[in-house]
Amino acid sequence: MSVRRIKNIVQYLSFAILMYGGRVGVHLGSALPCFACPYVPGCGGFCYLMGLQGYIGFGLVAGVAAGKEILVALGWFLVFVVSASLLGKAWCGWICPFGLIQDWLSWLRKKMGARERYISPEGKKILGSIKYIFLFLIVLLPPLITAKILPPDLYLPFCNICPGKLILPLFAGETKYLAVNLDNAVTLWLSLALIAVTASVLVGVYFKDRLFCLFCPLLALIHILRPLTALRLVKEPSACLGCGNCRRNCQMDVAIIDQDIAQVQTIECLDCLRCLEACPSTGSLSLKFFGFNLFISSRWVTSALRLKP
Amino acid sequence: MTVAMEGGASSRQARLLAKTREKALSEEKAILDWLRTREDYRPNWEYFLELLADRRIETIEARCQRKAIRLLCNQTPLELIWAFGFQPVKIVCGSLAESAYSAREWPALMCPLIKGILTSLELDPDLANGSWVTPTSCDWVVKFWEISQKVKPGSGTVKFLELPHLKQRPESQKRWLEEIKALNLYLAQLKGKKIDRHKLIEAIQALNRAWMAIIELKKARLEGRLSLSWFLAIIGTFFFDRLDRWTSQVESLIEDLTEKRFSGVKVFLAGSPIFFPNFKLPALMEEAGLMVVADDLCSAERIFPGGQVFEDTSEWGLLASLAGRYHQGCLCPTFGDNERRVHNILAQQQEAQILGVVFVVLKGCHPYDLESSTIESTLKDRGLRFLRLETDYATEDRQNLFTRLEAFGHSLAGV
Repeated sequence: MSVRRIKNIVQYLSFAILMYGGRVGVHLGSALPCFACPYVPGCGGFCYLMGLQGYIGFGLVAGVAAGKEILVALGWFLVFVVSASLLGKAWCGWICPFGLIQDWLSWLRKKMGARERYISPEGKKILGSIKYIFLFLIVLLPPLITAKILPPDLYLPFCNICPGKLILPLFAGETKYLAVNLDNAVTLWLSLALIAVTASVLVGVYFKDRLFCLFCPLLALIHILRPLTALRLVKEPSACLGCGNCRRNCQMDVAIIDQDIAQVQTIECLDCLRCLEACPSTGSLSLKFFGFNLFISSRWVTSALRLKP
Repeated sequence: MTVAMEGGASSRQARLLAKTREKALSEEKAILDWLRTREDYRPNWEYFLELLADRRIETIEARCQRKAIRLLCNQTPLELIWAFGFQPVKIVCGSLAESAYSAREWPALMCPLIKGILTSLELDPDLANGSWVTPTSCDWVVKFWEISQKVKPGSGTVKFLELPHLKQRPESQKRWLEEIKALNLYLAQLKGKKIDRHKLIEAIQALNRAWMAIIELKKARLEGRLSLSWFLAIIGTFFFDRLDRWTSQVESLIEDLTEKRFSGVKVFLAGSPIFFPNFKLPALMEEAGLMVVADDLCSAERIFPGGQVFEDTSEWGLLASLAGRYHQGCLCPTFGDNERRVHNILAQQQEAQILGVVFVVLKGCHPYDLESSTIESTLKDRGLRFLRLETDYATEDRQNLFTRLEAFGHSLAGV
């Protein structure tokens, strides 16, 4: 069985659990390092970004007074750290439901024979910095809202413009987030911004694999924990033939992966393992979990060659 | 008088050419007979011998029902040629007689392969005509078209692919992609229609199937189920039939390779290519008890740079993918940043327990000659023994080569 087949199975299972798990009593908590959207009725877990905005803005600031709330906030933070450290970027490449939706759009593009657009390293640098702006705002805005410096309708600012809020609930039959909220000027602008961001992301993702992952603040958070990560993509430069298969097949166009360096897991890397699957050199790329090989590239394994486009 | 002299020279040349043809045929027959009489020969492998026996371009075109595109070297994406409905045929020559014929006129220390091909042009009129695709790899290949016009003036057309010799630089990769796009247009002009990307995907998948069969052949040789000589003979027929038929034949041959038949001191074979009927070295290595378990010859394992894995299925994406694979994935010594070539050999130290490397330099094959010393020192630092053999298509050095190979084998056996 190819790595991709295994990944697909994991992706679909994760999608089912995270989108519909709540309907059968499965709930994985409020600190998941992936876009498991709380706006999906009956979902099986919550994305940590909502918790982060909530606990930092209302939990943490209010919790200083309440005492107990801060412990809850810290508890979920620890859950996030442990989850993100255990599986690292596999949350993005293998588990994230919004990642799977992006993969569907890439599949559609391939079926249509449209060309994937490439973003230059300079362009990626600029676009990639957006996720840090998001992260900064996620940390900065909630306390300002709590302190009533900003209007309360800005509550959960990232969620209000996150394309996941609009797209993911549709899979549970929830369409209300498609509507423009006319309650007041803030909600109007926020809902218009949500529609604009979602439309841009959908068009962008159609032309570029996993484009949204470039902007995802959650990916930046997971990457910060990289020194603790148990699941790692590792390169053995002395086995690399420099054929460039890895870079050409990389969803995120990680430019350094075909170079003579061991540390190839950049911030963009999603552990999707397309590189490992395409690598024709035994042991050049491996995915390790606590140092044990889970997958390893091989000159003999040819499953990638059998894949149908 | 002048006419008579020219006539005389011309008839002398015709006689010499006829004699060369006779000698070349007898060289081929000797090797084919040798392959047939070996213990590891199976009657159902006759298909490959038949392909080797008649490699004329006219026969190949009739066999494949496709017009041939003549190629030099390994950097031209074969899938692109198949996708347009042509048959790629890599033009090679391992004949001593043909190489010797050209030696009358061309430098003594010239690549014997190019010398041989120049004679082949005279022996096979169809070969010189038609379309050629020539990547600018080594100096001999770069100059080939120019000097071939002296042999057969006005014959054929050529499409040069200007090969950037620093393959790891993004600028070079971009330039090479432009060359491949230009080749796409050239083939479209020849065919009179644009490429169909679905046909290109089919061609990629067909070649991937062939590559998987080659991987099985490599495994069989590694495990001592297939000899070096037969491996080279089979791979050497790759361009002489329709791809699907050739692959099916190899797949059925693999089913025969069940038992281990060969053993010996495990070595890696590197250096200049070995082409039919010049099987002097494979025969001597087997005789000397050396078991070649892997190689990186551009006439064998590197006949193309491996399977093609692709993600972008648009025409642009497929061309970019092919361009990258045939450029970055190529281990030709003409590249200026080819250091990672040795990684392939070193990997065999672990995987196949090779003890040494036999490095062949064909006299006149300068890129391999130059590279041999750096490879030698790198491999020796890693504990591998290294034997550099300089030879050509001539047979006079057989005994000398055998003595050195045998001594090398003994020294490895004592390790």
